[in-house]
Amino acid sequence: MALRFAIFVWLLGGSLLASPARADGLADIRRRGELAWCGDQEGGGPYVFPRDDDPSRVTGFEVDLAAHLAGYLKVVPRFVQGPWDKLGGLVDTKKCDVILNGYELTPERAEAFEATIPYYVYGLQLLVRKGGPLEGWDDLGRRDRPRAKIGVLTGSAAETRMKEFCGTPERCEVISYDGSTDALREVETGKLDATLQDTPIARFYAPRFPALVPVGEPVGKGYYVAFVRKGARELRDALSEALILLSRNGTLAATYRSYGIWDDAQRELEGIVDHGRFYGFDKAVRADVSKPELPDSETVHLAARKRGFEVVRAYGGVLLESAALTLMLAFGSFPLAMALGLLVAVLRLYGPSWLRAPLAGYVEFLRGTPLMLQLYFLFFVLPEVGVTLPAFWTGILGLAINYSAYESEIYRAGLQAIPHGQLEAALSLGMSHAQAVRRILVPQAVRLVIPPVVNDFIALFKDTSVVSVVTLVELTKRFSVLSLSTQATLELMGMTAVLYLLMSYPMSLLSRRLEERLGVAT
Amino acid sequence: MIAVDGLVKRYGEAEILKGIGFSVGKGEVDAIIGPSGGGKSTFIRCINGLERFQGGRVTVGEHTLLPTTDARRDRELLRTVRRKVGFVFQQFNLFPHLTVMQNLTEAPTLVLGESQDAARGRAATLLERVGLAAKHDALPRNLSGGQQQRVAIARTLMMQPEAILFDEPTSALDPVMANEVLRVMEDLATEGLTMIVVTHSMHFARHVADRVHVFAGGYDVETGTAEQVFEAPRHEVTRAFLGEARKS
Repeated sequence: MALRFAIFVWLLGGSLLASPARADGLADIRRRGELAWCGDQEGGGPYVFPRDDDPSRVTGFEVDLAAHLAGYLKVVPRFVQGPWDKLGGLVDTKKCDVILNGYELTPERAEAFEATIPYYVYGLQLLVRKGGPLEGWDDLGRRDRPRAKIGVLTGSAAETRMKEFCGTPERCEVISYDGSTDALREVETGKLDATLQDTPIARFYAPRFPALVPVGEPVGKGYYVAFVRKGARELRDALSEALILLSRNGTLAATYRSYGIWDDAQRELEGIVDHGRFYGFDKAVRADVSKPELPDSETVHLAARKRGFEVVRAYGGVLLESAALTLMLAFGSFPLAMALGLLVAVLRLYGPSWLRAPLAGYVEFLRGTPLMLQLYFLFFVLPEVGVTLPAFWTGILGLAINYSAYESEIYRAGLQAIPHGQLEAALSLGMSHAQAVRRILVPQAVRLVIPPVVNDFIALFKDTSVVSVVTLVELTKRFSVLSLSTQATLELMGMTAVLYLLMSYPMSLLSRRLEERLGVAT
Repeated sequence: MIAVDGLVKRYGEAEILKGIGFSVGKGEVDAIIGPSGGGKSTFIRCINGLERFQGGRVTVGEHTLLPTTDARRDRELLRTVRRKVGFVFQQFNLFPHLTVMQNLTEAPTLVLGESQDAARGRAATLLERVGLAAKHDALPRNLSGGQQQRVAIARTLMMQPEAILFDEPTSALDPVMANEVLRVMEDLATEGLTMIVVTHSMHFARHVADRVHVFAGGYDVETGTAEQVFEAPRHEVTRAFLGEARKS
């Protein structure tokens, strides 16, 4: 019964989550009729973040931008969620066509991808606590004070800049966070002295963090550009054309104004557009500069910070949806892990001797390397040799293979715990070795190992959170995304914990029931 | 029916069987007695192919096991021999995850391809015969040792073997339970089943067996009818062993 349910969930999950056709060049985008663009909503506003009225959908200036770009190509936009520092892998493996997520133009990236002309000119803004001890950049490096702590986003230009500034030996301490609002909150609570943020973040979150003030002018100007796969020049040029058009007809300005992130620095875009001087982009654009029909561009404000039961009402639904994905991943992968583990254990103990060493290697390799690395391999490396799996199946397969190593060790121990007399009794009745293993030893071993297997299942349940590296937004990732964009961390954490508990506790109960009913062998 | 010639069995340096052999005809009951470590159990385990041996041969009907007989290569030969010759263990070795009825029907359905219904019918008859008709659905752990051993005998009988080897079937039982089991074995002997019984039950050896072998130190030191061995033992090991056995 439980098995049938698991298979059902498994099939259902597959049909719901099987990803559509792979992304390719411009011709392919036209054929598919969609522009798959990737970003990480965990990065938060104003780039890509959960909508306030429907947290399962995204909003942000890059969401609007993607819609305009897709409109120019006469296709529809499709958002692909991925971890911010792995978006390059998504483009490389054709899981999306374009990265549109505050990716700064750097020489390394320009080398690895094709870059469009910039769509935003950003600076780095230092933010400190109102009434705090720091009043400007000069205070950061002073040796007559305790060393200042400055928060930055991992892998961002701000991080590089700040580390250079602090130097070695360090005049100040740089602390890296995965979400930009983490650092803002830490400054607010006093754990950090300052944070260096891209100007869009500093402007957009100003109302949410009234206790922070910007000090000094933005430093370290840079450009956000859209990146496409190396060699996809046609697509790059089409997107650049679209950006030129959007800039000339005022769409970009209107969009940025609506998020409150338009500033004087953006005037530089006009010059870039006029001269088309970036990366030899000199194609004359037959731009239709007539004003397009823009929707009433009301300013997008961040909703007021929700508290208490409001949070439950607003985000309970979307958390539940993510919990369903967590369930599907767990119930989809664990039966496979058990079957595979049992097979490995039986073959290691009773199979041909030449199989033993490779199987031992299989187990040791999978136990000895991180699950995240294995998922990364399945998702980002296998496509390079032509094996492309949808994210959901990558998650299922990755979890199943990883846990099969642990299961096989449990079953091996279970099989070895069966007294030798059981095998002898079966053989003496004329059973073949295979029959004895299948009908006498395995059923006893399976009963014997119910507690450790259930234990592993609960562990797998929580390990499903690792599959967010392959772009799946399961419960933990959803928590992280929502918490960063809403700052209602405490409530969301409580809800998430309760959901995990509600899912895993019945497993413990079921295990106890099974043990009682089947009885422990011998 | 069963003929064993010059069986040699070594564990590393230790030689457990030093060239033992005897034959058992159809319907005959041979008992093997003697001090512990004399090679009694090893001897009958070799007959059933549960142990390999280094010298001699075992012949069951027209089938022959040799030192070269290999568990994998000759598995069909071994299965044939085991189907003809059943084995009853000292520790019963019932399958703990199966009910009494399933313990009996598992092998016939799996190995002989018998239908569930037919197997259950025969099993019911056999359980009745060993006095456990009421225990069909019990799990082994809910049975006494004596009951478990009677189920084990019935399980072996389900395969309709031509002979059964008993490896100290009552040594793990208290006297009352041992007697339950011995009565079943006596019935089988009376019905003409070929049996080789390794036993510490002097009563069984004396009153049921056609022939008694005394094993000691890897040799068959004395063989004869029960009367000869018990009334006029020729070998001093036999005399010493019987003396000890009487005291206990």
